[in-house]
Amino acid sequence: MVEEILEFLILGLVLGGIYALFAVGLTLIFGVLDIVNVAHGEFFAIGGYALYVAMVVLGLSPAVGLVLATAVVFALGLVVYPLLIAPLQKRLGRRAPGPLFLVLTLGLSALMQNSLLAAAGGEYLKVPPAVKGGLDLSFTFVSGQRLLILIVASLGLAALFLFLRFHRQGMAIRAVAQNPAAAQSVGIPLGRIFTLTIGLACALAGLAGGLIAPLFSVYPAVGFTLTIKAFAITILGGMGNLLGALVASLIIATVEALSVLVIPSEWQNAIAFGTMILVLLVRPSGLFGKKQP
Amino acid sequence: MSGLRVRTLAIAVLAAAGLAAPLVWSHPFVLHVAIQALIWALFAASWDLLSGYTGQVSFGHAGFFSIGAYTAAILTKVAGLSSWLGMTAALLLCALVGLCVGFPALRLRGHYLALVTLGFGEIVQLIATNCENLTGGPFGMHDYGTFTGLPSDPLAQRQDAYVLVAAIALAGLAIMLTLTRRTNAGPAFRAIREDQILAGSLGIDTTYYKLLAFTLSAGFAGLAGALYAYYIQLVSPTVGSAAASALVIGMAVFGGIGTIWGPFLGALLLYSITEGLRFIGVVYNLIAVGAVMVVFVIFVPRGLAGIRLHRRGRQQRADRPAADAAS
Amino acid sequence: MLAVEGVSAAYGRLEILHKVSLDVGPGEIVGIIGPNGAGKSTLLKTIFGYLPPFEGSVRFAGDTLAGLSPDRVMRQGIGYVAQAGGVFADMSVHENLVLGGYSLGSRRAATAAIERVYAQFPLFRARAHQRAGSLSGGEQRALAVARTLVVKPRLIILDEPSAALAPRFIDEIYATLAALNRSGIALLIVEQNVRRILDAAHRIVVLDMGRNAFAGASAELRQSDRIRRLYLGEDAG
Repeated sequence: MVEEILEFLILGLVLGGIYALFAVGLTLIFGVLDIVNVAHGEFFAIGGYALYVAMVVLGLSPAVGLVLATAVVFALGLVVYPLLIAPLQKRLGRRAPGPLFLVLTLGLSALMQNSLLAAAGGEYLKVPPAVKGGLDLSFTFVSGQRLLILIVASLGLAALFLFLRFHRQGMAIRAVAQNPAAAQSVGIPLGRIFTLTIGLACALAGLAGGLIAPLFSVYPAVGFTLTIKAFAITILGGMGNLLGALVASLIIATVEALSVLVIPSEWQNAIAFGTMILVLLVRPSGLFGKKQP
Repeated sequence: MSGLRVRTLAIAVLAAAGLAAPLVWSHPFVLHVAIQALIWALFAASWDLLSGYTGQVSFGHAGFFSIGAYTAAILTKVAGLSSWLGMTAALLLCALVGLCVGFPALRLRGHYLALVTLGFGEIVQLIATNCENLTGGPFGMHDYGTFTGLPSDPLAQRQDAYVLVAAIALAGLAIMLTLTRRTNAGPAFRAIREDQILAGSLGIDTTYYKLLAFTLSAGFAGLAGALYAYYIQLVSPTVGSAAASALVIGMAVFGGIGTIWGPFLGALLLYSITEGLRFIGVVYNLIAVGAVMVVFVIFVPRGLAGIRLHRRGRQQRADRPAADAAS
Repeated sequence: MLAVEGVSAAYGRLEILHKVSLDVGPGEIVGIIGPNGAGKSTLLKTIFGYLPPFEGSVRFAGDTLAGLSPDRVMRQGIGYVAQAGGVFADMSVHENLVLGGYSLGSRRAATAAIERVYAQFPLFRARAHQRAGSLSGGEQRALAVARTLVVKPRLIILDEPSAALAPRFIDEIYATLAALNRSGIALLIVEQNVRRILDAAHRIVVLDMGRNAFAGASAELRQSDRIRRLYLGEDAG
């Protein structure tokens, strides 16, 4: 019994790493731009597709493939602000009603997902794992891919947190999230920071997509369920709070993994939705959040 | 006659002609598209009542549509109820569910409200998929029949179904328009959309009106779902999917959020166009809807409705209130 | 140095400023006073770029400022101290200063500049790692001023520096501002505390209902019966 729990715990950690890469990026966008990126799952999906193209079509090594996938999605993410959000902001002012931006990213999501469907077809594409073999623990066997996910996700998140903490542009991102007017007064160009933020967040999503591709398969809607769960995660952690998103990701992933012992697996997704609704009713600011709804 | 009278008359004539056209033409496919377009039009108008007009943005509206559809199907299949009773039950049940969803939503704004309604939609879909005994599981339900009292000849059946659906959809639209243009509810809804706190301080019972909006909007969405169930004669979980919710929002954006008749018209047009262009490929019409949403939100924010009503002067920018800024 | 001519600005359709003019010479202290709603803060925001004017010109040392965003205006050599919430409350004092040097490029370039500011404000060296939001109101105001100094501005714009401060802190702020001015920095200050600004400024501009109402040397205004009656509550004669 204990071994079963430990096994699921490890699974929860691995999944939590993916959720965290995804949710932290989503939170970053919300914290800095006040926009919920409904299309985040599509960037995740493109990460998987990019890896597929790199490894299966072009025959590149997994490492190169992963870097390429992240870079491609980063570049795509850089385009979102100047092309889509800036024109809307210009027309409406920064304090435009939030729902309008939601509708914008919702439309982007539909556009991207169906474009993927049209371009690549709806089949579930298989990507070979980056690492073969695995770690043989007494009670369970942890595949190499899962270990890779754990390590890369941890490194990626650590790198992000260090960047935000110490690097000049990372500090600028934090400054804009906290106090855009003051940030401008010290010379931080808002538009460029917005662009960078979305690019970074999408890069994380793309990385996650590439890491999990061997396990999830690659198909247009692969990011959809994750997007909705990520909403639940960001609300649990407190919208706009990066650490909260990280912690909440691990919590939700672990609970989901362990829940298999207790409830039928079809209802697994309901955990995230139920948690979200519960949090919104009981404590809308989430675990760590300050922004009030 | 005054200019306004002429315009109203012209619109009425055009509308009547437009409605009569599928009947006169009587091509089965045209009727098929027209009927579904009307169902989506009612659905879109119901969404707009809550989200565009009252400002309570719902991202899971297909959940109400789905509940309405399943209610109608289940009641007719299990209890043998006529479609009239089925539709009424769907309307009432969804109104009740809408009321229930409205309560917790009272405390939420903007993103949070949209996300919780999204969660609601997902839960409805989960229940529809997993409670096989009730809903038939992933494959849904299909053997409950169609509208009661329709002739058995396929073409005549479709023609009568068209008249029925058109009448109900238009009645629904009329009710919503009357409510918002002729009663106190209209200004109250708009006030809530513009500035909830201000509305409250002016003595508007925001709780009552928000719940009213939720109830009515959900009810009509459910009615649309019931119409769908009886016409298509197949109800499955995808009816309540997030994609369907997104689709109805796209139609509303196309038609013009906040006008109610705009989304109705927008849905009619967009559905007809995308279905009519099906020969291009099913996916491309979905891409088109996504593109429409993105482009219209940025460049044509008032949708089709805004193009027609041409106002002079520039749109007021939604900047900080003046009192806030002046010192 | 700073020349504002015939500037009009609006929020949406609501016009706040109507053809306002003022100027600040190098090393001058100019104060802006006026009743509530006169548009004083709005004028500062327009000069600094938070709000674009729809007519008129704003020039600084010959360069046009109108239409530039704040992050570009500050690079011309102008600092801005907001009325409230000017510091990054969730960051440390040190991080605030580091951000003050953002426009210098790399973090290394800013280090020397930050050292200079610590020398001027020894209080902050001791509190370098304290969360800025936990400082007192007066200290936060001083931090906001210190932050602008990292990039050696020629002009600092301040929006009600004495707002919500106890008199002791107001003394300190104005002492700091006087010292800065002696070192050659010009100051443009919006103030509700008319006594203070009459004492501190070389010239005063009076704004009323978004228009220029009066202007002159502060010594002159101190004598003016009208000003004394309107703003100092003293009876003439």
